[in-house]
Amino acid sequence: MMPALLAISPLILVCLSVVGVMLSIAWRRNHALNAILSAVGLNAALLALLFGWTLGDVDVTALLVVDDLSRFGGVLVLVSTLACVTLAHHYLEGYEGPRDEFYLLLLSAAAGGLVLVSARHMATLFFGIELLSMPLFGMLAYTFRDRGALESGIKYMVLSAAATAFLLFGMALLYAVTGTLEFAALGDALATYGNDTWLLAGAGMMLVGLSFKLSIVPFHLWTPDVYQGGPGPATTFLATASKVAVFLVLLRLFQSALAFHENWWHDLLGFIALITMLVGNLLALTQTDLKRLLGYSSIAHFGYLLVALVVNEGLATETVGIYLVTYVVTTLGAFGVVTLVSSPYTATGGTADASPLHHYRGLFWRRPYLTAVMTVSLLSLAGIPFTAGFIGKFYIIAVGVEAHRWWLVGGVVLGSAIGLYYYLRVMVTLFLIEPGMQNRDATYDWAARAGGMVVLGVATLVIVLGLYPTPMINWVSWIAS
Amino acid sequence: MEVAFYLSALVAVAATFRVITSTHPVHALLYLIVSLIGVAMVFFALGAPFAGALEIIVYAGAIMVLFVFVVMMLNLGESAVEQERAWLAPTLWRGPAVLAGVLLLVMLVTLVGGDFDGIISGETLTAKMVGITLFGPYMVVVELAAMLLLAALVAASHLGRSDAQGEADLARERQRERAEVTASRNTAPVPEETPLTDGAEQPTGRGGSA
Repeated sequence: MMPALLAISPLILVCLSVVGVMLSIAWRRNHALNAILSAVGLNAALLALLFGWTLGDVDVTALLVVDDLSRFGGVLVLVSTLACVTLAHHYLEGYEGPRDEFYLLLLSAAAGGLVLVSARHMATLFFGIELLSMPLFGMLAYTFRDRGALESGIKYMVLSAAATAFLLFGMALLYAVTGTLEFAALGDALATYGNDTWLLAGAGMMLVGLSFKLSIVPFHLWTPDVYQGGPGPATTFLATASKVAVFLVLLRLFQSALAFHENWWHDLLGFIALITMLVGNLLALTQTDLKRLLGYSSIAHFGYLLVALVVNEGLATETVGIYLVTYVVTTLGAFGVVTLVSSPYTATGGTADASPLHHYRGLFWRRPYLTAVMTVSLLSLAGIPFTAGFIGKFYIIAVGVEAHRWWLVGGVVLGSAIGLYYYLRVMVTLFLIEPGMQNRDATYDWAARAGGMVVLGVATLVIVLGLYPTPMINWVSWIAS
Repeated sequence: MEVAFYLSALVAVAATFRVITSTHPVHALLYLIVSLIGVAMVFFALGAPFAGALEIIVYAGAIMVLFVFVVMMLNLGESAVEQERAWLAPTLWRGPAVLAGVLLLVMLVTLVGGDFDGIISGETLTAKMVGITLFGPYMVVVELAAMLLLAALVAASHLGRSDAQGEADLARERQRERAEVTASRNTAPVPEETPLTDGAEQPTGRGGSA
């Protein structure tokens, strides 16, 4: 009992800080106090997680397993949530309504992410996804007097409900055939039942539900609108912690249960990966809105990540780990800059954040260091050498070449080439001078604030990981082994 | 019990279909109640009386009555009585009544006739067994459900905030902020001259003019 409690102590600590923030709100609305309380809770959870690594693999009932992979995912989820807290503190200072609930929702969503990365049972998979999405509805529509935010919240809620219906129906079909909900037992049962029609239908429906959360083509249609309309910190969380958690649970489900030994499953997933990277990159080409562009770019990135899932042998798990680390660090940088430029929040009635590209025109001449962060993040997203993104992309291509998946490797190369064009277009915009254009700026003291420091640190990390990736590679390969 | 299962399931599907297709909210709600009762009957037929009872108490009972009330509350005023009379026209309740009648017939036949046809095998799940499962192996999920409900409640209460309520909150907050600013000025004579303070004060000013 004791090791199990210790193993899930990060989850318990995050849940406790949810309750703590709730009580603190009930006592007195104090924005700074609640932000600090959330940050303290998340840091305590992170420490508990790191110290818990000495415990080894621990089974917490039949529902959760705390192993290296789940701790790795937990670190990513908690770090991105911490970054979102610091960004949210600056952003919400301009919001006139109650600001404190945002932290409560953010912490609950983080708890959902922690559940997901350790789920090994359909029940925890489902509750983790719901605990992750339910607060996100509130976070995305938090500044609901802006039409953009409200639209983004409603779109995410309705489509998310549809995806959940698919997920549940898929689980029901799998349960009807095999009579078990545990991933491992399900894997054994699947091996004996083989190509049962209902099994395939159930697995397919679960794939649809999870693909929606990861915005994989053809279930990506919500992504640009939700990214564009949602408040900066909420979008940052959606793009980092939420996607990492869902992808890790997909990885675990895939490896332990739905190994899909049949060849055509791999081909289908490979096809989905190919169209995801191509469609994501092609649609990003014509965007004139930075947040939409980053949304399409995240679609493309999860197309690349699917390559590792399709191959599912050799370096695949290690590749997923390294790519997720580089993706999270880079995306935090890019969305962090967008959020800082939009901070503090100003009500417009439409889309509050500085998302149109022309807001960023000539940013370099006004905020040079912030522009440097953005440039580094965009270079890393494009996969230029000496940035973290290059290491991730290198692993993806290596794993594809090793498994002789030439179509996928070709897709990654083509997608990166297209991606370079639109990332560079944004970079050029940052350095252009055009007098008289409408523009928005980060506040003068952005670098002295917690959010600004996080963004600067993340940008440094992108470069350090690009120049000296050995510690990260060692860490991830130790986790994968 | 097999016939009972299929008949109830059929009624549930037909009623749900009418929920989706009907354009009148009250009409749709009536069908939704029938649909939920049909699902409850399916549970009874499968040997899960506890789940069936919960289905009726929680969904068909509480939530549906609440929904009907909410829909009716929206139409308060002079025309409310007439509106209500129009809603009680036979065309509105005939369909749901027929479907509910089928369910009643199924139940009566099963009660009186017993297991006269095909039998669905399996043990009967009692409330005790459900409780033991819920608070034994699925303990973690119960705790997580509590967190989920808290998050949903907070999200709903934030988004459902009306303007008047929001303004009252805002006024209180503004008052306290002003008090804090004066207090900090009294204790520390150094004025906060960074542009950030302007940003922080800006909304207050705008709120006051609104």
